[in-house]
Parts: sequence; structure tokens; C-alpha cells
Amino acid sequence: MAVDPMLQPLVAGFAIEAQEVIQKVTMDLLELEREGLENDALAKIYTRLGRHLHTLKGSAASLGLQDLGDIAHKLEDALAPLKATTQKMPRPVVDILLHGLDLFMLRAQAHADGRGELLPDPAAALAQLVASAPPPEAAAALPGGAFAQVVPVPQTSVDTGMQGLSQGSAGGPPTPDHQGESTDAGWRVSARQVTSLMREVERLREVRLRVEERSRELERVSTLLAKQGLLAETAEARTLLSGTGRSLRTDGEETSDIVDALEDGLKAITTRPTRTILEPLQRMVRDLSRQLGKEARLSVVGAEVSLDRRLLEKLQGALVHLLRNAVDHGLEMPAEREKAGKHHEGALTLRVEQQGNLLYLEASDDGRGIDLQAVRRVAEKRGLVTADELVRFNDNQVRDLIFSEGFSTRSDVTDTSGRGVGLDAVRATVESLQGRIEVASTRGQGTRFVLTLPVDLGSSPVLMVRALEQFVGLPMLAVESTQLARADSLRLGKRRAHLEHLGQLLPVVDLGARLGLRASAPPAEGQPLLIVQSGGKRVALVVDAVVGDRDLVIRPLPSEVRDVAAWQGAATLSRGELLLILRPDWVVSDSEKVAVSAGSRRALVVDDSLTARALHRASLEAGGFQVHLAASGPRALERLAADTYDVVICDLDMEEMDGTELIARLREKKETRTLPVILVSAHDSPSARERGLESGADGFLSKRECAAGRLLAEVLDVMSRRGSRA
Amino acid sequence: MKGTPRMVDEALEEETRDLLARRAARLREQGESSVEEAVHWIAEFPLGEERYALPLESLRAALPLRMVTPVPLSEPAVIGVLRFQGQVLSALSLASLLGGHGWRQDPAVLLVVDRGDGELCALDCEAIPRPTTLSLASVEAARVRAEGPVMEVFTHDRQLIHLIDPKRLFSVPDAGVRHGR
Repeated sequence: MAVDPMLQPLVAGFAIEAQEVIQKVTMDLLELEREGLENDALAKIYTRLGRHLHTLKGSAASLGLQDLGDIAHKLEDALAPLKATTQKMPRPVVDILLHGLDLFMLRAQAHADGRGELLPDPAAALAQLVASAPPPEAAAALPGGAFAQVVPVPQTSVDTGMQGLSQGSAGGPPTPDHQGESTDAGWRVSARQVTSLMREVERLREVRLRVEERSRELERVSTLLAKQGLLAETAEARTLLSGTGRSLRTDGEETSDIVDALEDGLKAITTRPTRTILEPLQRMVRDLSRQLGKEARLSVVGAEVSLDRRLLEKLQGALVHLLRNAVDHGLEMPAEREKAGKHHEGALTLRVEQQGNLLYLEASDDGRGIDLQAVRRVAEKRGLVTADELVRFNDNQVRDLIFSEGFSTRSDVTDTSGRGVGLDAVRATVESLQGRIEVASTRGQGTRFVLTLPVDLGSSPVLMVRALEQFVGLPMLAVESTQLARADSLRLGKRRAHLEHLGQLLPVVDLGARLGLRASAPPAEGQPLLIVQSGGKRVALVVDAVVGDRDLVIRPLPSEVRDVAAWQGAATLSRGELLLILRPDWVVSDSEKVAVSAGSRRALVVDDSLTARALHRASLEAGGFQVHLAASGPRALERLAADTYDVVICDLDMEEMDGTELIARLREKKETRTLPVILVSAHDSPSARERGLESGADGFLSKRECAAGRLLAEVLDVMSRRGSRA
Repeated sequence: MKGTPRMVDEALEEETRDLLARRAARLREQGESSVEEAVHWIAEFPLGEERYALPLESLRAALPLRMVTPVPLSEPAVIGVLRFQGQVLSALSLASLLGGHGWRQDPAVLLVVDRGDGELCALDCEAIPRPTTLSLASVEAARVRAEGPVMEVFTHDRQLIHLIDPKRLFSVPDAGVRHGR
């Protein structure tokens, strides 16, 4: 059955369109199979389904593809009686229709590839299609089901009269994207070229930020000039500067629009919606559960998130593995589920969420959970760990054994599992993408796999906030709202505060305390609160100021700080300084553990040298102190007004307020009159020492003397002396 | 505007040519003597009361210590992160990495160093380092003796230099903590 050569290019386009329509039809069929749909909803789906099938039939006929027109017609026939009575679609009918769609798509693809002549007469397959439903096993064996065109060797070809077709296209027929590239309408570009273009756009975005900064500087100069009075000499300069400032702002805004348009254009080229890989999985889950005699329903959250095509292609296999595993190992048989008080239909959920430059992919089921005893037994039996090692392993470590190569708790090999190939491959895929995979499981309640992957192209909206002197960014997607703290909406408990928010009590988390910059305290009246959500958890985050939102390019952190759980990356601001970006999942994670150091001794280090602060902090933390830092005398006074400390280590020579002045201010106040203070100075002279001690310091050390243990010894000595005096 | 290129010799005065010739002869002599004693180029700097050095080949840049963003909750040796040629680098306290050093003045310089694994990081430093040489033989001998990341090497004038091996310094898994000698 050859296609008219004149129509061949149109057939390729038709195959792409048909695949999209068939995806929609498949989703509708799975919906019709569900229980509990209202008549109105059913009627709408039937109408839509009929329209789609009719489109397929009409398009096929217009290209002279009679076989495809006939298949679509038969499918319409099968649908007609049900459509008339608007009822839930029986499973065997869904099987027939899905099978027919497989047949339609395989033949459409063959026509598009110019292999239409090799196609057998469809009559036999059509007769079989109408006469009896194919066993669900046949369809389930197909990874990707109706969308097997993206998976090599479609097994259904055996009973659909398609022998020999799959061999005709080594590695499987091309995906629609590849076909699109092969037409005259597009260009072939390498991923490297597109990536380097994206990097240039990111640089342009940083330039744009710098232009904004220059514009602000210009405004400051104009203001300064204006303060000089209305001198005729400066009038012309001011006018000129104002004009230049206005032009610069306009240019900046235009640059911003261009950068946005470039980035959007590049993203459209490099990304596609996650649903393109998620929706076909619905069919796979349905067919596999039918094959295994189970019932399962897959819910997808976040299918609209668009991601790098290369990332999606690599993740598709990993998600298939996880879902097949969940259906095969995780979900119980319907009767068993009902006995355990669960719904007979197992719930599988795929959640996709991008926050900043991190992608979270979660695959969960409400099945039986991981049997840790079985994992221990199998791991030892297969020689993956020794008995001695197992004794030392905690539950998390045991659970992680399921990612080991060759691990399987199945004793028999089935079509779906038992070969010990799966989760190790999933982990390898995730790690090859610089991501990580974690598993959480509760016996009898289910299992959750969380994949965290970096997304390294393009900018993300970030909300910039401040906690004390530390500016940090939060991915905007994690920030639901902002508000000011009001006493009547706060519930203060002994250990922590809660915010009453839309009928819920949210834990209040002080960002400064969470970052170890200060002791935790309830928010003051009018202090900004951000409602932050991640993975279904919400907290009210207390910050000292909300600076504003920015579109920033988030870069990964270097290896020395990559493992600090609080941070996902850093972005460059207008002056070239870096802004650390918080991980929302860390923000909402349980912060109770932070309170463990509350009982330890607290030291405040005051020094205008960043590196000196770091060194003092290292010495004191090694001695068990909880250390807070201040970069100047005034900042130290603020900290001392809000928190209590056991000792202060202060630099003698600071620009804004030197150490002697700070001590004088402390000694004036009743609360800090007896607070031990040690002065530290780069000047190692008797006069500096004398000056320091005369000011009321309890101890004096030169920075040269702050060698291993010496600062700590001095601190303990001074505290002990103060204590005995008290 | 394009001018007619002149031969170099034409542009030089005879006196200048003599001067250059004498310099070239001196350099040739130095080259011959260096064949006799191979040297190891280092970047030497003070750390407290002692003299430390890094192999010059590992040094990528010396920057003023500014625009460093502190990283709360990081290891104590981490001063912060900074941007260098489009990359995000960690700034680390060398005194803290090497364990319990005092210092004479607050570090004001960052040395961008190749860690030996292809990644860069920045180490703080009290002053801009001075390029100088050590005898290669003495460096090799010290390398054999040393167990940690710091080798003790004597200069020609019997001054002790603590030569840091970046690869060893950063090869320890918890390179953000401490490395005593």
C-alpha cells in the first residue's frame, strides 16, 4: 500500500499529528475506565473522543491512507453504542480501543517512514480487533504501550500483522522531534551550540543587572550635584546627567525585554513539557497492572513544567523503571489491599516540581512498603554486604541497598522483574545527571522515591531577602505569599511559634536562627513573614527584610560547600557579588534539631575582617561554643540587645567603632556590664595591650597569639575568672 | 593607519643593541647554570611567623579579598564563595586548613589555586606572594619525607619554607576541616 510520492512529506506530518491525537484519546479512554464519573463528565469525554477519532479518520482518508481510515472507522463503531448510553467504558472495550490505537500508530509510522508497501493487508488485523479483545498481557509487555514508537521493537507487531516492520527502522522509528528536524522547515544544530547561546544570554542578563546598577549610580551623582546648590556651573552637567540617566533606563528596559525574549525563544527550542513523557506512562501503568491482576491509578502533578529535552529523554527510562517497580513490587493485589483497609485501586503519584535550578521528581505508591528484613536477607545472600556490615547498618542504609547492582527480592524471573536490573540503573542515570535519588518507605503504607536533579540552563525568578547582614535568595516558586507578623495571628508555644494562616497552623521558622546567625526568637510585630512551601510542607519564614524579586542565573556551588543542605546554588548580582540561594526543601524541613545546641555556651565574635571571623569561629566551635558573628561594633550592639552571650571576642581596631568604644558601651549597660570581653589585635605592642586592658577588657591577645587552642584557652580562663568574681 | 614596518635593528641605537646583547649573554649563562641545578618555582608568602609557599604552577591569580559571600552552616575553614571568571569558587582560610595558626595581619589577598583535581579554589593570604625558586632536589627529598600536605624545604640561605602540595591538601575527603602537619 504505497503512498503517493507527492503526499509523502504530508504523511510524515500526519504521523506526528496522529501521535498527539492518540495521546489525547488514550488519556480519555483511561478516564472513561474510571469509576464514579458524573454523566456530564462522561458525555463530554465521549464527545471529545468521537471528535478525535473522526479527525484521525478524516486526515488519513485525505492522504489516501485507506487502511488507517478503516481502523479509525472500526474504532468509531466500537465507541458508538457506549456513547449513546453514556456509561463507564468496560475494560475489554478499552482494551480493544487501545489495541486499535497501537495498530493505527504503528501503521501510520510505517507510512511516514516510506515502508507502507511492506504493510500486510489490514483486514486480518481488523477482523481480530473487532472479533476479540487482545489479551492485556500483549499490550502490557510493550513499555510505553500505544506509544511504543519511541521504544525499539514493538512486541505487539506479532499479533497485528506488522511482522518485519520494526526491523525496517533500526533503533526504532524516529520521534516526532527528530522528524521535525529532518524536514526542510528547520535547522540541525548541536546541543553545544544551543547551550553556548544560552550562556551568552545568561551573560547578557548579568550585563543588564550591571546597567541597572550604573543607572542607580548616575542617579546618586545627580543627587549629589543637586546638593551643591543651583550653581550655573553644575546646571548644565545636571541636565546632561539627567538626560543620560533617562536614556540609560530606557536602554536597560529594552535590553531586559530582549534578554527575556531570547531566553524564552531558546527555552522553547531546548525544552518540552514534562507531560510528553509522563502521559504515556499512564498507559504503561494501566496495562501492567491489568497483566498482573492489580488495579492502579497514576496521578501526575506538575506535568506542565517544561524541561531540557536531553534531561527528559534520559529520565524517561528511569521513570518507567520506578513505576513498573511500584506496580510489581509495591502495590498489593486488590483483595489484599481491601483486607488492609485500603482502596482496592492502588494510588501511584508522580510529582514534578522545579524550584530555582533544582528539579524534584517524586514517584510514590501507597503499597506495602519496603520489607527491610527481606532486603537484609537478599543483600547478604547475594554477597552485596557481609553479615557484620549489616549489623552496623541503620534502616536508611539497608533501604539504600535496593540501589545495588544485581539486587532483587524476587526469587523468580518474570517479564517485569527479578533480573536485578532496575534501581541500580535508575541511580546510575540520576547520578550521570549530577543528581541524587533518595527513598523513603513505611511498611504497609507505601514507598516514595525522590529524584533531585540540577537544571542548569536559563534564569529563574528569585526573591531576595535579608537575615541580619546576610542576603539570600529563595526560588519564587516556593514562596506562596508574604505578610507582616501580627500578634493576633501568632500562637507562641514553649518551644516554637506558629502562624495562623488560612485556617492552618504553620510552624514559624526564623531564617537567621536557622542559618546559625542568631538565637531563635518569635517574630517582632511587623516583621516580614514568607509562606514557603516545598513537597507539600509549609512554614512561615521570618526574615529581617524583603529586598525584591530578580531573574537570576543560579550556578552550582563548588565542591567545598556543595553538601551544605541549606543551599542549592549561587547567583551573581549587579556588582558581581554572589547571592546564595536557599533550598526550599531545607527551609521547610524539621528545624527542631537546630535547638540541640541551645544549651551550649555562646560567643559573639566582632571583627571587620571576614577571614578573622572565620578563624575565631573555627577555634571556638572546636571548643563546643555556639558562635555568632558581627562585622562591626554597631552590629555587635544590635546582637547583644537581642541575644545573650557568655563571652565576646572583639577586634581592637575596627573602622566604624573600635573595640575600646564597644567595651565602654557595654560597661554602661547593666545587662552587659560584667560580660567577659577579650580584645584581639593585629598590633602586638605593649601600648596596644595596655590600651586594650585599660578600656575594661578581660583579656588581650595579638592575632599572632591566636594559634591553636590559645584563643580558646584565654576565653575559658576569662570566663572562669568572671564567674568566680560573680 | 598602516605604517611601513621597520626592521628591529634599524630602530635601535647601537648602545641599546649592546645593552641587549650583554643581557642576552647573562641570560645564556643563567640558563647553562640552571641545567646544573634544576629549580622549582614557588609563590612564597608569610603565614603568621612562618614562611609558606605554593608551587607557582598551581597559582592562577592573586585577588584582593573582597566580594566574598559568607556561607552560613559551612565548614569552619570556609570563608565564603566568590565569583572568578564566571565560576563560583570557595574562599578557604589557609590558617584554618593547616590547623591552628596565628597571623600577623588580617589576610587581604586571595590566591586562586588549582586544587590538583582540575577545580579551582581561593586561599586567603596575608600578602601578595613573591615568586622565587627552590632546588628541585630538595623539594623532591622533602616530598618523600612529608606525610601530610606540607613539606619542609630549606632555601639556599637555610631559610625554612613550608611548601604546600595542593593535591594532597585537597585530596582528603573532609578537605574543609583541618590538616595538621
